[in-house]
Amino acid sequence: MRPMLFSAHVHVLRTSGVHRWPAGVKLAGAVFILLGTTMQRDLSPAWFTSVWAMLAWVWWRSRLPVLFVLQRLLWLSPLIGGVAVAAALRPTDGPSWQELMIKSGTSLCTIILLAHTTAFGEVLRVLRRLRVPMLLVTTLALMHRYLFVLLEEALRMQRARAARMFGTDRSRVWLLQASVAGRLFVRAGERSSRIYRAMLARGGP
Amino acid sequence: MHIPDNFLDLKTVAVTTALAAGAVGLALRQTRSELPPARVPLLGLSAAFVFVAQMLNFPVLAGTSGHLAGGVLVASLLGPAAAVVVMTCVLIVQCFLFSDGGLTTLGANILNLGVLGAVGGWLAAQAVACMAGGLSGRVAGVAFGGWLSMVLAATACALELAWSRTVSLSLVLPAMVGIHAVIGLAEGLISALVFAAVARLRPDWIEAGSAASSRSVEWWPWALILCCGLAILAAPWASTLPDGLDKVAEEFGFAEKARACIPAPLADYTMPGIGVETVAVAGAGLTGLVAVLALSLVLGRLLTRPSSGAIQSPEEPARSS
Amino acid sequence: MNAAIEIRELHYCYHDGTAALRGVTLTVQPGECVALIGPNGSGKSTLLLHVNGILPEDGRPRGEVRIFGRPAESPHLPWIRQRVGLLFQDPDDQLFCATVEEDVAFGPRQLDLSEAEVRQRVEQALAAVGLLELRHRATHHLSHGEKRRACLAGVLACGPDILVLDEPTSGLDPRGRREFKALLQKLPGTKLIATHDLELAVELCPRCLLLDQGRVVADGSTLVLLNDESLMLAHGLERPHILQHRHPHPATMVAP
Repeated sequence: MRPMLFSAHVHVLRTSGVHRWPAGVKLAGAVFILLGTTMQRDLSPAWFTSVWAMLAWVWWRSRLPVLFVLQRLLWLSPLIGGVAVAAALRPTDGPSWQELMIKSGTSLCTIILLAHTTAFGEVLRVLRRLRVPMLLVTTLALMHRYLFVLLEEALRMQRARAARMFGTDRSRVWLLQASVAGRLFVRAGERSSRIYRAMLARGGP
Repeated sequence: MHIPDNFLDLKTVAVTTALAAGAVGLALRQTRSELPPARVPLLGLSAAFVFVAQMLNFPVLAGTSGHLAGGVLVASLLGPAAAVVVMTCVLIVQCFLFSDGGLTTLGANILNLGVLGAVGGWLAAQAVACMAGGLSGRVAGVAFGGWLSMVLAATACALELAWSRTVSLSLVLPAMVGIHAVIGLAEGLISALVFAAVARLRPDWIEAGSAASSRSVEWWPWALILCCGLAILAAPWASTLPDGLDKVAEEFGFAEKARACIPAPLADYTMPGIGVETVAVAGAGLTGLVAVLALSLVLGRLLTRPSSGAIQSPEEPARSS
Repeated sequence: MNAAIEIRELHYCYHDGTAALRGVTLTVQPGECVALIGPNGSGKSTLLLHVNGILPEDGRPRGEVRIFGRPAESPHLPWIRQRVGLLFQDPDDQLFCATVEEDVAFGPRQLDLSEAEVRQRVEQALAAVGLLELRHRATHHLSHGEKRRACLAGVLACGPDILVLDEPTSGLDPRGRREFKALLQKLPGTKLIATHDLELAVELCPRCLLLDQGRVVADGSTLVLLNDESLMLAHGLERPHILQHRHPHPATMVAP
């Protein structure tokens, strides 16, 4: 389990002006920065200076703890590092490894800022306005609603089983985890039919 | 295998996004037409399930652990179209909530893991299930499909990275495919274990799924051939086709250094004694494929033995009234 | 005048063949507050789902279920679901939207009301359960008691005449239980409450139905039924403490 990941979403870290900006604007801004960065043929100082100034300002206004942002960066960087090393070992006619590092670092910061200053419900509202098919939006909304419910259920099952397991035999752990996952799916399925009943009871389709 | 932003150039982003949008659109239409309204909430709950199941650690060696990706598992439980929708939602939430995988590369990630991985793996799973028959066949299918889905997704990922000129194909393809041929073993094993656990808890759900898939009997050999062909042929064809800059790199002696760094199964993907390299690589690939298939069939038998105490959970199944 | 709920000879079997209801017959008059008690697996929840027409799935009950005289069958179901508000056992099942406000608005939105009317109903319902200040809160950040009240607000927003509650006080701490009980006491209308909380039955419901193995085995005054020790023990229940330690005086015990 990676409980650290959830701290920001289970407990709202802090709210700031940035959190209250319209989600559509933040999303459009992020896409603009990401696509713009992708399009840069080389490391144009004008683009990167202005983007970094912008990001720094947003970060300052968002009041996200600097340690938290660094933690997230560290968590996500191994893959980037790996590809950069691969690109350094055998360069192609594409971007150099330095360029890759700077570009994806920029994008990563953008997306971390976006993710941690925008409530997912707001993102869903934007998707609905953009005419994303209803089935997809409904599924996303239900997924987000029950993510933490299922996570807690999984943790409870794991603890209950760990309490009765005295060896740390690796194969036992695999079977245990698989049975936790299997039961979790069955419970999710049974819960989904109860949710459907609750929808029906309030006049749902 | 979530590609972050900037690893794909604009043309690759555009093409993969368009392909993914088309595939997800088709899957949504299919799901809407065949899913009864009572099962619609199941999609959201399954997506939450996949997300949580991906967080369960399966210890491999000291310090390292494997995780479920879940595409083939969900496809086997809910059907391929629903699985595409579910995996799309999982990837979107991973991107927006946890910045796992890029926003501009979302299309590529959906295409690799949600469409090619899940549907390709599911086709192979169906083929194996029809070939072997019964519940043990279905479990074997899930194991084989799970492994293949990782290899397929890794191949697609490598091709996209190479097409963007981020990494050279001859470096990234064997590396990605090689590593994921190993990771896929864990994926296949975990998927099969979870599938067998669900089959034990709710056999009625699994039977409903197998009744729906009995239509697929006529085409299973083709599906198997197609999947195997993709898996075997893509790798050697691409790796024996050095792109221009690789030659430059070889001149500078980079290539040797690079090759030493990559852990590759079956000794750098070639078998000694066969002259033509392509044949050797294809042979190695085929051997690996057959070995995994055989392992899957054995696993299917093991997990569905009636006396099998292997996956007995300490807790009795509790049915709520 | 038609009875609020009228059930005759109702049978129901689950897919696996378990008989959940075997000939239930009961009548609840408008304005009555009736407790439905019985051991686990006696069919309480199954019965409640029939009152709203959610079970059976095919919409053709084996037996008769009538709400204000209309049968709980296909053409009347939308009307009946608007009349009957059902509070489920697990609040997490019922709160399926992201925020409290959205969830409470789900019911009214299905009724083709204008956006202003929806907003007005949501506000009234939230005010009735005392959650107005938490309206923008994410549902998974609520405490168990708050979740319960949010569910009730979602039911009230549909403007039901009959409230059907499944274990409304389970999982609540004593304070939460007390508050929820007080809340239920204030609400007008017909109420049918399935519960293991016998003190709740004593305080809220003058009349009580005892269900066991899919049949109504006793129907009568709550105080008389719950004081019958042998009856209670025979059906996996017990005389509540509230009756054991006090000398009951019906006129002061029973809520008006």
